[in-house]
Amino acid sequence: MSVDIIQLLVGGILLGGIYGLAAFGLSISFGVLNILNLAHGEFLMLGSLVSYSAFVLLGINPFVSAVLVIPLFVVFGVGFYLLLLKPVSDKPPHQLLVASILVTLGISLAIEDLTAFFWERPVTGIAYSLPAIELGHVVISSLRLSILLFICVLAVLLQAYLKRTFVGRAIRAITQSREGAKIVGVPIAHISGFTFGLGVALAASAGVFYVTLFTVTPVIGIPLTVKYLCVVVLGGLGSLVGSVVGGLILGLSEVLTAYYFGAEWSPCIAFVLLISILIIRPSGLFGIEG
Amino acid sequence: MNRNGRRLSALIALAVAGVVLALLPRVAGSYALVWISLLCVYLTLAASYDIVGGYMGYMNLGHSTFFGLGAYGTAILLNHGQPLAVAAAGGMVFTAGFAALVSYPLFRLRGAYFALATFGMISLMKVLSNNLRDLTGGSGGISTPPGDHTIGAYYLSVLIAFATLIVSYRVSRSRFGLALFSIREDEEVARAFGTPTNLYKSLALVISSIPASLIGGTYVWSVTYISPPAVFGLEIALSPIVMAMLGGTGTLLGPLLGAVFLTSCQELLWTKLPYLHLTIYGMIMVLVGLFLPGGLVRTAWFRPELDRLGLGEKISYPDLS
Repeated sequence: MSVDIIQLLVGGILLGGIYGLAAFGLSISFGVLNILNLAHGEFLMLGSLVSYSAFVLLGINPFVSAVLVIPLFVVFGVGFYLLLLKPVSDKPPHQLLVASILVTLGISLAIEDLTAFFWERPVTGIAYSLPAIELGHVVISSLRLSILLFICVLAVLLQAYLKRTFVGRAIRAITQSREGAKIVGVPIAHISGFTFGLGVALAASAGVFYVTLFTVTPVIGIPLTVKYLCVVVLGGLGSLVGSVVGGLILGLSEVLTAYYFGAEWSPCIAFVLLISILIIRPSGLFGIEG
Repeated sequence: MNRNGRRLSALIALAVAGVVLALLPRVAGSYALVWISLLCVYLTLAASYDIVGGYMGYMNLGHSTFFGLGAYGTAILLNHGQPLAVAAAGGMVFTAGFAALVSYPLFRLRGAYFALATFGMISLMKVLSNNLRDLTGGSGGISTPPGDHTIGAYYLSVLIAFATLIVSYRVSRSRFGLALFSIREDEEVARAFGTPTNLYKSLALVISSIPASLIGGTYVWSVTYISPPAVFGLEIALSPIVMAMLGGTGTLLGPLLGAVFLTSCQELLWTKLPYLHLTIYGMIMVLVGLFLPGGLVRTAWFRPELDRLGLGEKISYPDLS
């Protein structure tokens, strides 16, 4: 029994790490651009498909492709921003919301539908494994452990980047006060494009890990975006630590729900969590403005 | 033309349209009737979405939840041997109660957060309708007593769509509607001036849920079978919203224009193109968002006409006391 629980906790922590990584991408791009990117989950899906293709066609190790997709998707995200979001972000505020939701949701539907159309085998998973580690009676796959380690390294690097470099400081400054950042001379348009690219790359990188552990179908994008929203509301906007904690809470509750109530109920838990937070603590666990 | 003359001509146009629609089943085949019923389903959903999405400015992407709940509630009551009127009323009461319940947590969110949370509500409903097999029949769907209801469903759908437009018009010309507009423009200011914003937001959600649930009940009565993807799927969720957006939100004629335009496009295109429907919806959404955020009714072609008819945004409030 306790062995099961430990296995579950490890699985939940891992899932939570993946959620936290991707949700942080959503969180910074929302904080800087003031546009909630409803296509964020699609980038995780695309990252998964790219790494799956790289693994099947070229035999590239998923850990290598997790690093390789980052520059690729930064470029992709900057292009996405310039083409679709920059024209929207110039609009007056009351049109900005409607226009940004229409554009990002429309793109998300188009990506989902096109991927489903061109991808012959919708359900994919990478057959990549490493020998398992046995500690007493607890079997922990070393693949999962190394992914967890990799996510931790990525999070530490990201935190250092946000705290130490000019761009990282600019990102945090814009999230805290857009006008203030503008006054002290932060180039908002440039930083916005790069931040969006970074957010997309984080989602894609999380997608590489996602595909090594779970099956990926073209329709996972929008439900995943709802889960990221739950994580962002749990953890607060623009805080990496908050996103990771929120991700862990969601990952653990999903795994525990699947264990105690059956796997078919675990898709509900993100929404139930979201509603319960809104009733109990409307400002979020770490205090954000609704 | 003075105000009374305009009103008279509008009434004459309505009467002619009413007579034509009432007599249509005598001349038209069942294909046309089914098509008009479907148009009325979309029109009802688009117009009732607009009360929250357009007038109040809260993008309720989960509006089809009410459609699906109404459909499931009516189907379950029909299977228990209730007549249609009782079943549809039961579905409506259930849906309105649900709307009143969820409005409390959901309206603590704003803007994009609200849109995404309501969108998540649809997938929650889909999971629930798949999992509660004893009640909903699970993923196999639910069948209602069979029978040919084409003409009955046609009259009911037209009636509900027409009633929805009337409700929408009355709301937009009322004190309540004015409060909704003020919430859209600036919620803090509205509250500071004494508008009971929380009450009115919940009330608007309940009002918009009622037509959606009734048309859901009519829909299931006429097609006699629904499954979770049919009523909680993406296409039924997004097409009414795309219609309202394309036509122009926050106006009476916007959803009507968008629904007629897009349903006609579907009829011409979908039969020739079996795939990629969602891609086309997505592309329309992107194009509307980038180039036409006000919708068709706010373009230079339509705007002067609407203002002349007194249906545009320049509203004269005759008596609000």
